Amino acid sequence: MIHDLNLMVAGPQGSGINFTSDTFAKVMAREGYHVFTNAELFSTIKGEHSYFRVRVCKDMIRSYSERIDILIPLDAKSVMLHAKELSKDGSIIFEDSLEDPRHADIPYKEILQTVATKFGKALSELNVMKNTVALAGATKMIGLDKEKLKKVISENFASKPTIASMNNAIVDEVYSEFSPTRTFDLEPTTYKKRMFINSTHAVGMGKVEAGMKFQSYYPITPASDESNYLERVMERYDFVVEQTEDEIAAINMAVAAANTGLRSATSTSGPGFSLMVEALSYAGMTETPVVIFYYQRAGPATGMPTRHEQGDLKFALSAGHGEFPRVIIAPGDHKEAFYDTIEAFNIAEEYQLPVIVLLDKAMAMSNYTVDPFDLSKIRINRGKLVLSETNGYLRYKFEEDGVSPRSVPGIKGGLITIAGDEHDEDGHIFTEDADNRVKMMDKRMHKMESVLKAVNADTKVKFYGKPTNKKVIVSWGSSKGPILDVLDKLGEYSLLQIRMMEPFPVEEVMKFLKGKTIIAIEQNYTGQLADLLKEKTGLEVSSRIVKFNGRPFAFEEMVEVLSKSKLEKREVLTYA
Amino acid sequence: MLSTVNPPAKPQSYKTNVEIDWCPGCGDFGILNALVLALQELKIPNENVVLTGGIGCSSKIPHYVNVNTLHTLHGRSLAQAQAVKIANPRLEVISASGDGDGLGIGSAHFVAAGRRNVDMTYIVFDNGVYGLTKGQASPTLPYGEMPKSIETENLKFPVNPLFLGLASGFTFVARSYSYNIKHLKETLVKAMKHRGLALVDVMQPCVTYNNINTKEFYDPRLYDIEKEGWNPVANNESEYKQKIPQAVVKSLEWGDRIPMGVFMDYQTETYDQKLQKLVPAYGKKNYVMEPIESSGKPLNDVTELMDSFC
Repeated sequence: MIHDLNLMVAGPQGSGINFTSDTFAKVMAREGYHVFTNAELFSTIKGEHSYFRVRVCKDMIRSYSERIDILIPLDAKSVMLHAKELSKDGSIIFEDSLEDPRHADIPYKEILQTVATKFGKALSELNVMKNTVALAGATKMIGLDKEKLKKVISENFASKPTIASMNNAIVDEVYSEFSPTRTFDLEPTTYKKRMFINSTHAVGMGKVEAGMKFQSYYPITPASDESNYLERVMERYDFVVEQTEDEIAAINMAVAAANTGLRSATSTSGPGFSLMVEALSYAGMTETPVVIFYYQRAGPATGMPTRHEQGDLKFALSAGHGEFPRVIIAPGDHKEAFYDTIEAFNIAEEYQLPVIVLLDKAMAMSNYTVDPFDLSKIRINRGKLVLSETNGYLRYKFEEDGVSPRSVPGIKGGLITIAGDEHDEDGHIFTEDADNRVKMMDKRMHKMESVLKAVNADTKVKFYGKPTNKKVIVSWGSSKGPILDVLDKLGEYSLLQIRMMEPFPVEEVMKFLKGKTIIAIEQNYTGQLADLLKEKTGLEVSSRIVKFNGRPFAFEEMVEVLSKSKLEKREVLTYA
Repeated sequence: MLSTVNPPAKPQSYKTNVEIDWCPGCGDFGILNALVLALQELKIPNENVVLTGGIGCSSKIPHYVNVNTLHTLHGRSLAQAQAVKIANPRLEVISASGDGDGLGIGSAHFVAAGRRNVDMTYIVFDNGVYGLTKGQASPTLPYGEMPKSIETENLKFPVNPLFLGLASGFTFVARSYSYNIKHLKETLVKAMKHRGLALVDVMQPCVTYNNINTKEFYDPRLYDIEKEGWNPVANNESEYKQKIPQAVVKSLEWGDRIPMGVFMDYQTETYDQKLQKLVPAYGKKNYVMEPIESSGKPLNDVTELMDSFC
């Protein structure tokens, strides 16, 4: 019996690796297993070597493994590159013969020929279906009922019934013609309904649930998957997704739509956010409730567009000229991404300021199983939105809590004047009066204290493990997953996941970290969270465990580093 | 200078009481007056009008007009204005900014706006200089010219807003003149009535920095193309295709005679109609007034989306 199974599909981009691994993952998720996937691809459309990992386990898993049990290489190069990572008891499913005892010898040609003849097709037309041979080979080695695979294939090709039938005929042939010499006896599980999603889906669903009506975006990896998902559901839920000419337009349009009264957002990645910075400052000055979803990827400049990094924390914190209030929330998994999305819109509208939801490539491109969200907990708070006739209205009226009633165009007596210049209560700009400036700065900046008081503790930090542990790891974002997987094994560590980066929850952080040995784990070169921690609390970390090669943390390298008897001040992880 | 708090003065007035800080004699005054007259003529309730500005002298106009106003960032007036109209198609949306704002730093939005054809009006205050930063050359300043405010002659060819507007897909393209308030008001009324994206390029002398393109320069040169027989209306796509080259040729005239008037007036699918192809319910309900929650509980339910991933 094995506890977890790791399958890799590798090959040239565009050869169906994504489809193959996703189908496998979905079949296993339907069996009730937890499934975690990791995609490593090149920033190209076709040709370059890419690979997808699928990890399956009856228990919750949040990271990929360095070990491969079943390798499906779609070309010879993939055999060369990945056969060495295959465990000695593993199996390679490959079309051509290999001088490797682990080779699972499936009669590809005969199987495809049989199906081609049956459907009156030329053998060459079935070339694209080789992946199905491999898939069926894998599920047979796991001992899975072939009908379960066929069901998912039929769903995948719902609009192409003939293609579905041909693929399913291939599955039948593989199951009758292939007698595996190696099998994988995975610990059984019981069925539980789970979604198989990544964070772009979670955020997208969060936006729909939150009542977002306007999203603008400019195409960028890995953020545009989210906008594209929203485009697929906008007809059903009646909202607008606008693809703009650039990110400057994207943020300006989101800001304007917010000031017109809609819940509005934009999604981007580092290079796009760089272009949005001026308007972020404008949103702070104009007290605009706009939400920016920022999917970090490996920088600087164009960097490695399809690779992972948590390198933009300090940038998100400081982006924009001048001083203005902002809120930054960093979810650590898909579930948090969903709830945080809704919370971000609430905070934006309640406090009338820009909110940044800081995500990353690993979250955007890693599909895994998640329990359905509990919608009964969700609340929407639109703050002081004025949607009925009013009089004597002032957009920037001084109020005790710094938050003015917010009218929008179309409200009788509620004309708004929005201005990025310093302004009076009425929004007009022809004052550079020193006292007014001080009052307006106080008004805006005071919101940070209000947010800190109002936001619930779980949105700020989450603590995992025994509170009595001497060693506490601090981390953020998707790094949480691999750390939690290891925490289950190494009981001496606890984890403090910092979720709200701005305003920084000093009190909550101190509560968990005071007097502890602190280890920072994050995916960037310098240890940006460790720096932030020191800046805000004076606390020094004893070690910074970092990784910046563009790949997320693997389970084994995390175990290895945390098992060391003494951690260096700086530990660099490099597994690829 | 001080502003009066809470400016809306007389009922139905389209002017605020905010003190205007343009230079005496500035061409901007004519545009402000013509715009207020146009709004008075159209009698659109103040709360249903949104005026956006960019940054620069002319972009301060939002503060002087008693409607909803967004004083945006440099170059972003048109981008924000389109979003306002998309967010609430029931609003009358007007965007204003200088030629530097709209055709220099904001030129990407100008071109993209033409591709959308949002039903709104964009007024360019076209004076050839960046007035608020003391008169540097702006995108419409002719090649080789050297107004008194710049140190060297202008080495760049000018952008022709009308030509670019036609090329980008603006469905209403006009030129007017800030010292001809009657013509300007009538042009603005036509632009606002037009269903689609309207460009009004206004010759607007900067009395402080541009001593070349002055009232004395324009007065004898400007002539009304419609009075000389040009019919800008294109009733269908084939008429539009046939008229575009002629309108372009007219837009290129510059010298002893400078044409003004409406160059193109073509009604085709507007962006709200196009959006309905993707979102059939779009525009039927007012997104702004439509509740998204009831006693704090969301009205949307993503159960069906969650199920699609199971």
